[in-house]
Amino acid sequence: MANVIFKDVHKRFGSFVALEKLDLDIHDGEFVALLGPSGCGKSTTLRMLAGLEFPTSGEIRIGDRVINDLAPGKRDIAMVFQSYALYPHMTVGENIAYPLKKRGIKGKARAEAVQKAAELLQLEALLDRKPKQLSGGQQQRVALGRALVRDPQVFLLDEPLSNLDAKLRSYMRAELIELHARLGKTMVYVTHDQLEAMTMANRIAVMHGGRVQQFDTPDAIYNRPANRFVAGFIGTPPMNQIDGTAEGDHIVISGHRIPFNRADFVDSLADGPVVLGVRPEFVAIGSGDGLPATVRLAENTGHETIVTLELPDQTRISARVEAARKLDVGQKVALRFDPAAIHLFEASENGTRLNLDETPAAVIPMRAK
Amino acid sequence: MTTLTTDPPRNGLSPLERAYARLGVVLITPTILVFLLVIVYPLLAALYLSVFQIYTPTLQGGFVGADNYIELLTGKAFWSSLRVTIVWTVGTLTLQIVAGVGIALLLHQNIWFRSLARSLVLFPYFLSTVVAVLVWKWLFNDLYGALNQGLMQLGIIDMPLDWLGSMPNAMIGVILVGAWKYFPFVVIAVLARLQTIPENLYEAARIDGAGPIARFWDVTLPQLRSILTVIILLRAIWDFKEFDLLYLLTGGGPVTSTQTLSLLVYQEAFGLNQMGQAAAYSVGMMLVMLVFMVLYIRQTKEKA
Repeated sequence: MANVIFKDVHKRFGSFVALEKLDLDIHDGEFVALLGPSGCGKSTTLRMLAGLEFPTSGEIRIGDRVINDLAPGKRDIAMVFQSYALYPHMTVGENIAYPLKKRGIKGKARAEAVQKAAELLQLEALLDRKPKQLSGGQQQRVALGRALVRDPQVFLLDEPLSNLDAKLRSYMRAELIELHARLGKTMVYVTHDQLEAMTMANRIAVMHGGRVQQFDTPDAIYNRPANRFVAGFIGTPPMNQIDGTAEGDHIVISGHRIPFNRADFVDSLADGPVVLGVRPEFVAIGSGDGLPATVRLAENTGHETIVTLELPDQTRISARVEAARKLDVGQKVALRFDPAAIHLFEASENGTRLNLDETPAAVIPMRAK
Repeated sequence: MTTLTTDPPRNGLSPLERAYARLGVVLITPTILVFLLVIVYPLLAALYLSVFQIYTPTLQGGFVGADNYIELLTGKAFWSSLRVTIVWTVGTLTLQIVAGVGIALLLHQNIWFRSLARSLVLFPYFLSTVVAVLVWKWLFNDLYGALNQGLMQLGIIDMPLDWLGSMPNAMIGVILVGAWKYFPFVVIAVLARLQTIPENLYEAARIDGAGPIARFWDVTLPQLRSILTVIILLRAIWDFKEFDLLYLLTGGGPVTSTQTLSLLVYQEAFGLNQMGQAAAYSVGMMLVMLVFMVLYIRQTKEKA
């Protein structure tokens, strides 16, 4: 079993707290993305799993083994770096063979393993080249080859696609998904690109300020964000967050009353300040009755138009409408929100979501084994 | 609209391009003049002098044709000095490289005295040769020297050694002082290169299962290869023609056992007052050094 468990892990660099109370339970064969802005602790998490950093306290396990004090080479992991970190003086073949060589695998067994990895990644024709002679995408595949050649229990990928151009990136994304399906290995993938995380991962750990904000499936992360940070981080454009006041069955925004179904929310939701969250695709732009707003910007991307709207209190929100819809800058409109698509958050800076539908906890409890 | 009348382009160059070319010529002229004066003229003068027998103080003498070169080829002096030069160069260069790379690796580590040590290590290189040699001469002194004193107290020797007056001690002595004086150059160059090796390579190697020694052979050394080639070639050229350190420390002695080619040329020109013969020796020395120079130029061209 190659599940990966972080249990109450803390990491400090001097007085700087990089990670606080990290609890993660990554299942065997799962593709997990660690997603967050820079400085959120995602790379530190991966590097601790790799053995390149050591936790200040807590326990990291792969399968049944506690690996806190194991050298990187003894953890049965492989890592792909953002910069690929290929050995520049070695050929592609020698690069891929290197981890085997260091483990004393010789002769035919080594050559066969290298051949197999090269075939899987279509590198056979490049085995005698030096990394310098390869394109970014090819170097990327060599780095993958070096990782998978010795069949590790866990693959660690540190922003492996961020040095590639957009086209190659989407191609390699598909390749990686396929590779994961074929190998069935546990993969931990660090990225700041939500698109990568959403499309590739079985589950995503959204991190911020050294804490896991939510650890759940892409669907849950998108549709049931645990708090305001997750809601504001996921989605392009992200979820709109509008300050309002709860009054009975209505949320009052700039004097306008928006009805909502109180039964869908936790009992502790009291009258008073709340934050209303709504995805841009659930903002309907019309006229007549509704929250009054002014069109400030309409960006047509070809298949849709992203509209930036200004509310009376000068809050800006976005809406997603079909490309054919014509809206003029300065035009006065009325907004309506689909009541079923309304999220409410505590009014604090990173307020918790108050909806009742299987609200995921910010910290996932450990699974009993 | 005004029409600009321009000269028809000559040699395919526009007037602006020609103006730039003229400026270029003006800018490099001083360099070329200095080069002619201090490099080309002495070189030609040496070639000229080498076919005369000339008494140094008067610079008078007669044409002797190839006699000086025949003496160089058939006499013992040149070949014996060439052998000494090679022993000195190989010995001191090896020590410089080994000590230089070793200390650079040490200073690349995160140790608390790193910044202090990095400045201190340059000390021998910046110290004037005369001062350094005077200090070393005292250390080597057979009667009062600290070196003999130390070795005797440690019980390694039981009689004071004559360091600079006997062989092979004198050669060992100059090689050691040469290595001490010039290893900082290697440290600086290697350290600069070490700092550019991406940390990721070491991390990848650790994950691939490479221990510290494997990481040195498989990551560090291959990355140092190109800079080491340049250092070795440069230092070989400089050590080969080293003069002041050897002249001051042993003066070529005992007898001629540490007399390198530079010292031989000096001795011939100003000791024996045979400027013609000295010029011939220096031409011979230059031909030997040409080998290193060609290698160096090839190496730097390859990189460019």
